[in-house]
Order: sequence, then C-alpha cells, then structure tokens
Amino acid sequence: MTDDGNRMIDEGAPVPPPGDLDDPSRRPAGVLEPFEVFRQEKDGDPMRHGGNVLAPDPELALHYAREMFGRRGESVRLWVVRRADINVLEDLDLLQPPLDRSFKKPGGYVMRDKLAAARSRAGTSKPGARAGSHATTDRRGGAQ
Amino acid sequence: MTVSLAALDARTRTALAGLLLSMADDEFVIGFSDSEWTGIAPILEEDVAMSSIAQDELGHARAFYELLAALLDDGRDADALAYDREPEAYRHARLLDHGRGDWAMTIARRFLYDTADAARLASIGDGWPPLAELVAKIRREERYHVMHALAWAHRLARAGGEARERFVAALEALVPDAPSVLAAPEGEAALIEAGILSRSMAEAFAGWWTEVAGTLGPLGISLALEPPPDPARARAVPSDDFRWLWGEFTSVRRSDPRATW
Amino acid sequence: MTDPLALDPVLPPRERSEPSARRWNEDLPHDERFEHFEAHVLGGGKIEPNDWMPDEYRTAVLRFVEMHANSELMGVLPEREWIMRAPTLRRKLALTSKVQDEVGHAQLLYRVAEDLGKSREAMFDDLLAGKTKFHNVFHYPTETWADIGIIAWLVDAAAIVAQQALRDSSYGPYARTMQKICWEESVHIMHGRDVVVTLVNGTPAQRAILQDALNRWWGPLMQMHGPRSDRTKDRDLHWRIKAKTSEELRQEFLTIYVPRLLELGLTIPDPALRFDAGAGEWRYTDPDWNELRTVVTNHGPKSQERLEFRRLNREATAWVRAAILAEPRAAA
Repeated sequence: MTDDGNRMIDEGAPVPPPGDLDDPSRRPAGVLEPFEVFRQEKDGDPMRHGGNVLAPDPELALHYAREMFGRRGESVRLWVVRRADINVLEDLDLLQPPLDRSFKKPGGYVMRDKLAAARSRAGTSKPGARAGSHATTDRRGGAQ
Repeated sequence: MTVSLAALDARTRTALAGLLLSMADDEFVIGFSDSEWTGIAPILEEDVAMSSIAQDELGHARAFYELLAALLDDGRDADALAYDREPEAYRHARLLDHGRGDWAMTIARRFLYDTADAARLASIGDGWPPLAELVAKIRREERYHVMHALAWAHRLARAGGEARERFVAALEALVPDAPSVLAAPEGEAALIEAGILSRSMAEAFAGWWTEVAGTLGPLGISLALEPPPDPARARAVPSDDFRWLWGEFTSVRRSDPRATW
Repeated sequence: MTDPLALDPVLPPRERSEPSARRWNEDLPHDERFEHFEAHVLGGGKIEPNDWMPDEYRTAVLRFVEMHANSELMGVLPEREWIMRAPTLRRKLALTSKVQDEVGHAQLLYRVAEDLGKSREAMFDDLLAGKTKFHNVFHYPTETWADIGIIAWLVDAAAIVAQQALRDSSYGPYARTMQKICWEESVHIMHGRDVVVTLVNGTPAQRAILQDALNRWWGPLMQMHGPRSDRTKDRDLHWRIKAKTSEELRQEFLTIYVPRLLELGLTIPDPALRFDAGAGEWRYTDPDWNELRTVVTNHGPKSQERLEFRRLNREATAWVRAAILAEPRAAA
C-alpha cells in the first residue's frame, strides 16, 4: 500500500509505518481502549460503521479490526479510529429542530392539483410515461 | 390550532397582538438581513451555517405571523402581515434596524440579539397556550443560535488585531440600541396579569445585561451600560436603510397585490 | 504490517475476494502501474484519494470537478439577488434553502478537488483570474421572479441529468458526492416547477413574464451540455470520469422536459424543435456555439460583473479567514 504523506486526503487515511512507537500518538495508553471501525464493503462504497474493538494501541487495533471485520473477505478497506478522538454531536435540538422544514424536502411540493389546473387551462393532457416516443410533438402546447 | 381567545379581554388581546407583532417583525428583519449572507459569507462552511440560522429566524417569524393572523382574525394571513404594511407600521427593534454590515457587525448583532431574544422567550408564560407551545419549540432551535454567536464572539475577540477591533467597534456601535429588544411592550401590565409574560421586560433586561457582561468581561470587553430601554424609542419609525429594504422585499408582491406567487 | 492475504493461506488465490489487488499502488515501473490502473478503471473500478494515479487522470478529474465547483459557487449569484424579493415567506425560505444548498455543493466539490492536491484558495485565485471556467447559464442576468422559477426548474434539471450520469464516476469521492447532490437537486427542481406552475395558473401578466423568461433561457439551456463531441476522443469518457456524451444528456433533458413544458401551455421558442420518431431523437435548431464560447470565456452579459463581485467580496472578508486561523491571544 502506498502512503504518500504529501497529499491532502480525507479518505483512505494513511497508515503510518508499523512499530513506530516513538510517535506519541501511537504509544500504548496503558489500558485497553475502544477503537471504532468503519468498513467499505466494495470498491466505491462509502465507509460504514461496523463496530468497535478494544486494543492497547493503534497498531494492534488494526490487527483486531481486520479479524473482527475483515477476516472473511467482507471488506476492502477499514478505517480504525480511537473512540476518544471522535467528537460526537447527538443534540436533537440541533439535529432535528422542531419547526417546519418541509420546503427542504420533496414532500413539501405537492403539485398534482396545480398541474391539473394548468392542463385544464391549456387544454393539454398529461405527458405519457414514455414521453419522447410521441410520433410528433408540436412545439406549442396543444392536444395531440 | 385551537386559539383559546375567549379567556382574554380586549385590553389583553391588544397587548398580545402588539407583542406578537414585535417578535414577528424582529425575527423577520434579522432573518432576511442575515439571509443576505447566503452565497457570500467568509468561509463556505460558515455560509451554510449562517443561512440555516437566517432560515430559522424566518421560520419563527412565519410562525409568529400565523399566530397573530389567528388572533386578529381580520382576513389577513401570515404573508399579508409580513409584506402588506407601510414601512412605518413595522415594529422591529432598533437594534435590527441597522444595515447588515460586515461579518463583525453581523456577529455582534447576532450575539446581542440572540441572547436578548433568549431572555425574552424565557419570559413567556403559560397565559396563552398557543404562544407558550410555539415558544417552547423556538427556544430549542434558538440554542444553536446562541452557541454559534458565542463561538464567533470568542474567536473574533481572542484573535486580536483587526478582527478584535472590528468586533469591539461593532458592539460599541450597536450598544445604544441593544436594549430595544427588551423594551417593555405596550400593555405589559395586562400581559403579566394574564400570565402571558411571567416577568417584566425590565427584569429580563437586568438579567440579560449581567449575562452579556459576564461573557464579554473575560474577553476584555466592557460596554457602557445604557439606561433601561426607552419604549418610545425602541420600536419607532424605521431608518432609511429599512425603507430601502422594504422597497426591495415588497417589490414583486406589490407588482400585483392580488396575485398568487 | 503483516500482509492480510498471508494470514489466510488456505484459500487458493482465485477464491480470495474479487476486488482488485490495487497493483498500481505497488512499487512498479510507471508503465506497468498505468496499465493496472487503466484496466481497473475501464473495468468499472473506483479510485480513491490515496491511490496512485497517472498525472493524466488526476489532472482530468481535478479539472472536471473544479469547473463543477466553480459553477456551483458562481451559480449562487443570479439567484441570491431574489432572496430579498421573494414574494411570500415560504418562497423566501425555499429560495434561501436552495441557494444554501448550492453553496453546500460548492463546499463538497471544492473538498473533493482539494483532496486531489489543489488548495481552495488556489482554485478561487484561478476562477477570479479567469483561468478556470464556470457553466454558461450562470453568466446571464435574472430579470424577473419568473426567471427564478425557470432557473430552479430547468437549469437545475439540465444539471441533474448530467449529475445523475456522474453518480457512477470512476473517482469514488466524486461519485459519492454526486449521489448526495442529486438528491438535494431533486428538491430544487420541485420548488422551481412549483413556482412555474403557480405563475402559469396566475394572472395574464404572470404568464407573460414566465413565457418571456423561457424565451430568454431556452438558448443557454440548449447550449449548456456543450456541442456534440466524438465519443472516441473524449478523455473524460475514456477514464469513466463521466459516462454520457453531451448529446446524450441534451436528448435526455428534452425527452423529459419538453412534454412537461408543453403540458403547461408554454411555447418553446424553437420552431424546429420536434421529436423524430424514425431517428429516435429530438431535432432542434443548432445552438449558437459562438455564443457559448464567448460566454464561457467570461464575455457573457454578467460574467465580469459577477467575477468582480466575488473578488470584492473575497477581499472584504479576508480578515475573517485570517482571524479564524490565528492563534488566540490573551484578552486585552
């Protein structure tokens, strides 16, 4: 696996060289800590949370993640992140604020009646499901 | 929505209508003022955040206008209340009557307004349930606004240099009008009697000013404590800036007042 | 790190999971890496940011994504003018939300481009200096509220036809971003159509401004996907960055939207527009490719004004970005 430290990346986070226990962020914490594991099932898929493992340091966390979430060939990529490094937002006032936001969603635009009114005024009919296969279509709206 | 108006006497209803109008106009004016940052904010991610906050305010305005329309029951809907008045008839607080200004001005105004609005919302009692229910929802959404304003107030103040200068200058420019949000509404006594207000705006103002000082003090900013808000000045005739805005925001609607858009 | 494949020696190679061994990432001669990479992409495989890429691919994806990001950023400007003038509270909310989404799309796309190795500031520099481009439709003025309906419906529709085809792009982050963008754009199109249908059902004056808007926007819309190109010579198609030709996209747009326009009683301002059932495709007056060329090289009616607006705005807000990156100092 190539690791090009010069690139800015946000996916497929670089795997630091193994055994680099001089790097403070990679030293054992002295306890078993949870590491969250995200997996990619197949080429091109988004990363999805798979679960977590306990490990004393990031390097062993990779091994255990491979065992728990990759030993059957079910993943093509894993991200392994120390849970303590994850910032969590779960405040529903921020994530599910209570007032109407239907204008941001498809359900906010029910047009059936308006379209029927427009057709009736123009004297047209609803375009067929296979629009585009009409023999001739006048450039003006009009019954065909 | 069952609007339990029977319990309110005429004096109280008038006072309530005035309160709703000023709250609605406040949210409407700051909402469309800050929605003007959409597309041109300093950082792309921040653009999206400020737009959400502005949309929240417009949503709150809409909800207040709807409540007011139900109360007045004179054939006007929320849009008619929002759009179909002359500039003099708008009752937004003077704090919000300034032009949008730069990012420092926007943050300074948001900080002063969102904290004052929180104090006002905390003063709404159970006297008229439809308002109390709406306010409970709005308070939940407003938490994010205060969080955001504080996050930026801290960053601008602590960055020093030009950022801090602009922020402090903006606060100083706005502080004379800052109390206007918590000026006593007309008929406040009736509102308190009816339990629609759980405390006077003077009480809310005192608590709010202490809170503002408590936030700005550690940042090394002290603002001159103004005398309590003058109700006569607080929501008086709007500025030329607002008149120009009014011309713009009513232009399409005035092109055909009977049309549906 | 131990080779994971070596941990499971019992399975013969052909029974191991199918995904590519990503051999282009190994320390091989360039030509061999190129061959493995190309085979993977042509076979429908995806590329991620930490993959080795031939320069040609990296450059092509970056250019493609950068123009898309620029277009979202500039596309904000014609519409945001009307946020102020939106005639109802709901329309104001919907339009603000739509423009917000476009900014969000710009953010998503600039992020994808950044991870290919070009900084956001460098991309803004190049956009404002006219070195990189943005789509033709965003160089034109908006004259009435009806323009807002037409843009939100038809410009977004033409864009979504292209964007849906990009959901399977070979570059993973771009493909996934397109999925999110397509979902959000579908709401914009509904909002736009709702504005248009409301005008159609309204007063004669409203129908008139709507037809006028359609008359003005039809030309740019037909130019939007670009001239017919030779499929075999298109490198973006070769690398599966995109999957459909300009003409395929235009035909798809016409197939869906001409009937929907005619249904409303609107007139499409092209006398030659018709569906040729025998050929199985739409015939139309050849779009003005000179106009397209003139416009995308920043000589459109609003090109310079909008670039200048962005330049001024960027300068005016530079102090904020500087502040946010500064180390905090002790209070006074």
